[in-house]
Amino acid sequence: MQVHVPGPWSPLFGRLTLDQIPYNIPILQYTFAGAMLAAIVVVGAVLYFKKVGYFWREWLTTVDHKKIGVMYIVIGLVMLFRGFADGLLIRTQQVLANGPNAPGYMGAQHGFLPPFHFDQVYSAHGTIMILFAATPILTGFQNIVVPLQLGARDMAFPYMNALSLWLTAGAAGLVMLSLFVGDFSAAGWVGLIPLTELPYSPSTGVDYWMWAIQISSVGTTLNAINMIVTIVEMRAPGMTWFRMPIFSWTTLSTNIIGLTAFPVLGVALALLGADRYLGTHFFTAGMGGNLMLYTNLFWLWGHPEVYFLILPVFGILSEVVPTFCEKPLFGYVTMVAASFAIAGVSWVVWLHHFFTMGAGPDINGFFSVATMLVGIPTGVKVFNWAFTMYRARITYTVPMLWAMFGLFLLLAGGLTGMMLAIPAVNYTVHDSVFVIAHFHCMVLLVVAAAFAGVSYWFPKVFGFRLDESWGKAFFWTFSIATLIVFTAMFALGFEGETRRLDWTFNTAWKPMLVVEEIGMILYVISLACFALMLVFSIVNRKKNAAGPDAWGTSRTLEWLTPSPVPFYNFAVTPQVNTRDELAWRRKHGLDKAQPEHFEAIHMPSNTGMPFVIGMLAAVWGFAMIWRIWWLAAISLTALIVCVIIRSFYKNEGYHLQPEEIAAMERDLALGSVVSEQPDRSHHHYSHVEAH
Amino acid sequence: MAGSHSDPLAHPEVRMGGAMRYIAGFISTVALMGAALIVTLRHDMGYETYVEVVGGLAALALLSQAVLFYGLDISRAQIWKSVSLILTVPLFIITVGLTVWMFQSLDQRTMVMPNSAAAATQPTLLQ
Ligand code: HEM
Ligand SMILES: [Cu+2]
Repeated sequence: MQVHVPGPWSPLFGRLTLDQIPYNIPILQYTFAGAMLAAIVVVGAVLYFKKVGYFWREWLTTVDHKKIGVMYIVIGLVMLFRGFADGLLIRTQQVLANGPNAPGYMGAQHGFLPPFHFDQVYSAHGTIMILFAATPILTGFQNIVVPLQLGARDMAFPYMNALSLWLTAGAAGLVMLSLFVGDFSAAGWVGLIPLTELPYSPSTGVDYWMWAIQISSVGTTLNAINMIVTIVEMRAPGMTWFRMPIFSWTTLSTNIIGLTAFPVLGVALALLGADRYLGTHFFTAGMGGNLMLYTNLFWLWGHPEVYFLILPVFGILSEVVPTFCEKPLFGYVTMVAASFAIAGVSWVVWLHHFFTMGAGPDINGFFSVATMLVGIPTGVKVFNWAFTMYRARITYTVPMLWAMFGLFLLLAGGLTGMMLAIPAVNYTVHDSVFVIAHFHCMVLLVVAAAFAGVSYWFPKVFGFRLDESWGKAFFWTFSIATLIVFTAMFALGFEGETRRLDWTFNTAWKPMLVVEEIGMILYVISLACFALMLVFSIVNRKKNAAGPDAWGTSRTLEWLTPSPVPFYNFAVTPQVNTRDELAWRRKHGLDKAQPEHFEAIHMPSNTGMPFVIGMLAAVWGFAMIWRIWWLAAISLTALIVCVIIRSFYKNEGYHLQPEEIAAMERDLALGSVVSEQPDRSHHHYSHVEAH
Repeated sequence: MAGSHSDPLAHPEVRMGGAMRYIAGFISTVALMGAALIVTLRHDMGYETYVEVVGGLAALALLSQAVLFYGLDISRAQIWKSVSLILTVPLFIITVGLTVWMFQSLDQRTMVMPNSAAAATQPTLLQ
């Protein structure tokens, strides 16, 4: 049943041969040198400072939701950087390769990237930004913040939480590996069909894309289950549904989308995999197959996915805005209702991504109206934030600036989305860069909220605030760059530039392409500001040290814990009295109250199993990509055996003794996320059965 | 208090299956899916009967997974799982229903052929 693949295949190495290593492409040589240098610096530092044991015990095997969240965000930021490099290549190619007389360098007829390479760059850009940057960063925030906001010790399933992380990490590793071994998909992040079918994409590029997404989306689905159960089951006493902070509400709604939508993507890619590996005809043009079935399934996931990204962003804005307006959020209940309305409607609009399929006026009309309905709950939210800010005492801190810029992007992206939702308009601008500009307003809103979140919650996790002046320099350069690039891109869309052009044939586009490139240069400068912000923040960490409530005006439960938050979160489980609990306690002078005594806390033990399973999944993906069947069989079997073995563990955890808690509450450095913990496995629960 | 966290036998809501149930679930699911595959490969049913048979087999596979893998029943302990399952039903109807509607219409508008069986016999690049 196995499909015949073009090119060599051997039982031992599958399709892998030495000439799959693209050592003759100059850009990749530099990239490889850079990656190796970075790896040597990191690994060298870990070895030099003898931190291997520390990384293994405290990070790779951790089940602590805050550390897992930090690692999600670090992976997301690294991938954001990689995706940005791809974006820079795309913009530079398009401005260089303009018009018939554009010169060519490095083997390209125009510009410096030959078409096949260019196509891989934009495909990687989209895949990485949506699935390996935005998704992990937002998942990271949910991991860190939600248990704290709910007054919980950890997520409902700490082991599964680590497993989700390592599946995501393994998949991200596969995407990076495709740079140096083989190639990446050239069929767009959406997997343009029938381009992804084996006869049209015979190399392993599509397989890298497909298996990396498959593996990471298993992680995302498991994480969605974990989040939902945590919110339903783990709220502190007194935290009734309508006392729950909005970020937790949006996390709930977004993960309901995640849980229901990601399996659809899994099915779509599995059917594509059956076509590529087994020779079935689900999405081929003949033999009873139907191309549009793939497009349908992809967007059946794809549209809910964009709301999966935007709802947590709305949650972050809803936490940041009230804090720096020193007011409760306007319209709490409508905010909750709007989040669920958006999640619900997101399931009935997906055809707006392929209006031009030609399903007919009734159907296009139905999906057009449904799409526009999203504007109502979104409008409710925008007015809620506006009314919160109205006549408020606003402090323009870095997180607040990002939030306000986010509101601007939401308006620009939302209104252009409404334009695209009109089929008649859509037929004229579909597949033009107008669409690209629309959704970049939206995804840059995700980035803006991510940086709002990073600067807002950083002191909670690490105990000191990020440097304000470099933070502001980063904010202004980044947001002005965004305006420059995407205003020009809207104009180019109206001038008829279609998306994904490796050669911009029309010389009339030149001025706007140059403007875009100027914006890109400013983005590069903003990256330098970001790096300097990190450096100066770490240097000045004593000066920027934060108390429990890092901003002085925060409202929700996570700010009741000390900063940096100890690994056990709350020394004593809080009793919740009202919505915006911290604001209420502050008003009644209870925010500084200390418990009289501590009781032992039951904690889960660390385990290396999730890391091992995540890496086995990556090896399995690699073997499937290269059709190395023996390796695929071994790694998959090992993975399943690990899961079975692990399910027989008792994992009884250990008890943190009252004296230890008291010591750590006195000296916060002892319990912080970066500190190293002594081995407590001897504090087995059976010894303290008395509690 | 302690200990009850980690002992699944004390928690009916997480106590899912046993070895026998897992094996039975695995075998029945594989058998039902295999039957669907064979029915598809044999091409000897009319279109309508075929859709009904494959749909029926899928429903049975779902049922055997729900009962044998997840030990789903209507008891109080399982309430979250059974309610979640029921909540996906409207979603299922909406997405499948809208898909059928759009492809029905697409077919009428773009696929009118004198003999639609001809489409199924076209050669493809994969051959
Ligand atoms: C008011 C809400 C929104 C409306 C009415 C809307 C409408 C649309 C429409 C009609 C398209 C299809 C354009 C075409 O291809 O012809 C589109 C594309 C897109 N939208 Fe939105 N959208 C909205 C919000 C969002 C949000 C919140 C995000 C992401 C966070 C987003 C991300 C995207 C993406 C990624 C695409 C293009 C995907 C691709 O073809 O590569 N949109 N939007
Ligand atoms: Cu959409």
